[in-house]
Amino acid sequence: MSAVDLSRSEAGTWRASARAWWRTGDALPFLLLAPSVVLILAVIAYPMLTGFWYGFTDGSLLKYGRFVGLDNYVELITSRDFRHALWFSLVFAVFNVVGCYALGLGLALLLNQDVPGRAFFRVALLLPWIVPSIVSIVSWRWMMADERALFNQVIGLFGGSPVYFLSDQTWAVVMVIAIKIWRSFPFMMLSLLAALQSIDRSLYEAASLDGASRWNQFRFVTMPQLRNISIVLALLMTIWTVNDFDTPWLLTQGGPANATENLVLLAYRYTFGRNDVGLGSATSFVTLIILMILVVILLRRQKER
Amino acid sequence: MKTAGNAPARGRAGLLASLAAALAISLSPVAAYAADPVKLNFWDMIWGPPEYIDAAKELVAEFNKENPGIQVEYRSIPWNNWYQTYVTAISAGTAPDLSTGAGYQAVQLYDLGAIRPIDDLIEEMKTSGDLDDFLPGTVDTLRYDDHYVALPWGIDIRVWFYRKDMLDAAGLKVPTTWAELREAAKATTKDGKFGILASGDTGGSHFLYNAILNNGGGLFTEDRKLDLKNARNVEAFEALAGMVADGSVSPASTGYNSDDRRGAFNRGQGAFTLDGPGLISQAGDAADKIGVVPPLAGPHGDKGTIFWVNNIMVYEQTKHPEEVKTFLKWWSKNQTPLWTKGNTGQLPTRKSIAANDYFKQQASRGYVLENYVPIGKTTATHAAGIFPALNEVEGEGVMQTFAQELWQGKPLDQILDTADSRLKSIVKE
Repeated sequence: MSAVDLSRSEAGTWRASARAWWRTGDALPFLLLAPSVVLILAVIAYPMLTGFWYGFTDGSLLKYGRFVGLDNYVELITSRDFRHALWFSLVFAVFNVVGCYALGLGLALLLNQDVPGRAFFRVALLLPWIVPSIVSIVSWRWMMADERALFNQVIGLFGGSPVYFLSDQTWAVVMVIAIKIWRSFPFMMLSLLAALQSIDRSLYEAASLDGASRWNQFRFVTMPQLRNISIVLALLMTIWTVNDFDTPWLLTQGGPANATENLVLLAYRYTFGRNDVGLGSATSFVTLIILMILVVILLRRQKER
Repeated sequence: MKTAGNAPARGRAGLLASLAAALAISLSPVAAYAADPVKLNFWDMIWGPPEYIDAAKELVAEFNKENPGIQVEYRSIPWNNWYQTYVTAISAGTAPDLSTGAGYQAVQLYDLGAIRPIDDLIEEMKTSGDLDDFLPGTVDTLRYDDHYVALPWGIDIRVWFYRKDMLDAAGLKVPTTWAELREAAKATTKDGKFGILASGDTGGSHFLYNAILNNGGGLFTEDRKLDLKNARNVEAFEALAGMVADGSVSPASTGYNSDDRRGAFNRGQGAFTLDGPGLISQAGDAADKIGVVPPLAGPHGDKGTIFWVNNIMVYEQTKHPEEVKTFLKWWSKNQTPLWTKGNTGQLPTRKSIAANDYFKQQASRGYVLENYVPIGKTTATHAAGIFPALNEVEGEGVMQTFAQELWQGKPLDQILDTADSRLKSIVKE
């Protein structure tokens, strides 16, 4: 048999098996999934792979660069800016997750009780989450910008000296975290409230019959029931905080003296300020790797329990 | 007569031939090309209030009316993400034929092969004498690697402003030297008000550029090497640090952005600030209380401030370089309505436009044109012209951080060393 005959026979076999596959209906799920897969490849996989490649080049926003190996990663990891941004990202994430969890849980527990005006507060407390970030953060900025701003007028009423919240490194860090907590707690509160309402009432009745105090009911009934949702919420909030651009940018632009510059702002500065796409991409990928490690650790802990 | 007898026949034949020829010409691609006007895309940044765009559109319409063979399409480009807008267009092959742009855009894009030099146009303007209409230094500022990469049109500059009411209340004269400025700032710092209002954003770095250029310093050597720590620069930074040590610089400055600073100045919370020439016209009710400080003399008698020569550039992707040149020449000469109708905050680079009554009516702008523009210098000083690294130097925020730390009162030698090493890493020295 000649080569041509062979290829014809192979093509015929392939067509026959494809027809059989189609007839059995096995192809339908793949066909239905295809648009989503194409979309994911186009908008997530392709940019991610391209960005990953850029991290190994010395290009600018307009010019493809040369391959420079790990130079960008070495420059990044040895730079003081990176170490500081990493430290601030960590502080920002830890304080925000703890802060908004504590506030969200406290309010959720309160709103889970039969308190007057409960329906109103449930809606009103969602406002920080609903208001666009530009509106809320710029408003906060006005309230603390200088000695005549609202906060300092209140401090003045009590005889205090003006505090320059955005000019002092420590205060700027505190304010960025505080505003992020203020913006994030409604999501925590809403999710925890939903989880609280799904706890079986009979568990509390049994605990009460056993003589458990309110504190022990909270400790041994409520908290274990909230464990899984809490881990998921902490995970999501960590990712959102590490990736938060709006809060530090709109409030301080990463200042003063880079005190509130997180990894995302650093990547932005390198890419669009310094026009160094390689270094900016490397920063983004290091951020991604850190987040992935965090996700794996948290998910493993969830499984272990 | 044969001739007479054949005349009708020849007339018919001639008529048919003419019709056929006309038809052939009208249907041929050459005819279509000749009949259709050349289309040019002109992208213009938003250089002023909303009326600026209307004035620019009217001007383009006027050109189109006067030049039926060329039709310019005007597109207004917002400043947000402007760099990405141009980069994307150039990469996709859809760049405009020409555009306006900020100080360093032309050299940045030229270095990447996207800008067409306008040496021929400059030569033509030199021959015709039109080049003499430009303010001294403005055209040569846009010379890079022995090519003119753009034509200047507008100047952005930083000048010192003062509050007349605060100086009057303190019984002070308007300062004329840096030493007098320091004393006046000190004297007006009282009752919760401060002598100097600065900011921690990009505008904050302009205070640093102004100080070093005013003192005969500069960021670079003549051969484009970074020179942040030269004696004149250090002396200028020390002058600013001295004002901070006096308590004359508002402690809110580090956290202020330029809008905050402007707002505080207009409310009378500070006696002096550094801003663009449009500050007074945007000050509302406070306009009458604000004046322009004359160019200050430094300790060695030097005068100077930071300025940027904004420009119009032609793109390599254009298919109609001659028509672009025609439009560019026309636009450059006829752009007065951008000020008189459009109220752009820029200052003109042409003497003929600067002589317009508009600048006599707007006394402060006229004053700045006459007294500050001649002493304006770029961030490239002491190097000639401009070059792409300037964009990274200004954009990366090193000088901004330097300003923030200076307003915080941190030790100068420490923050100067940090800024120097960071700038060197940017320019890869």
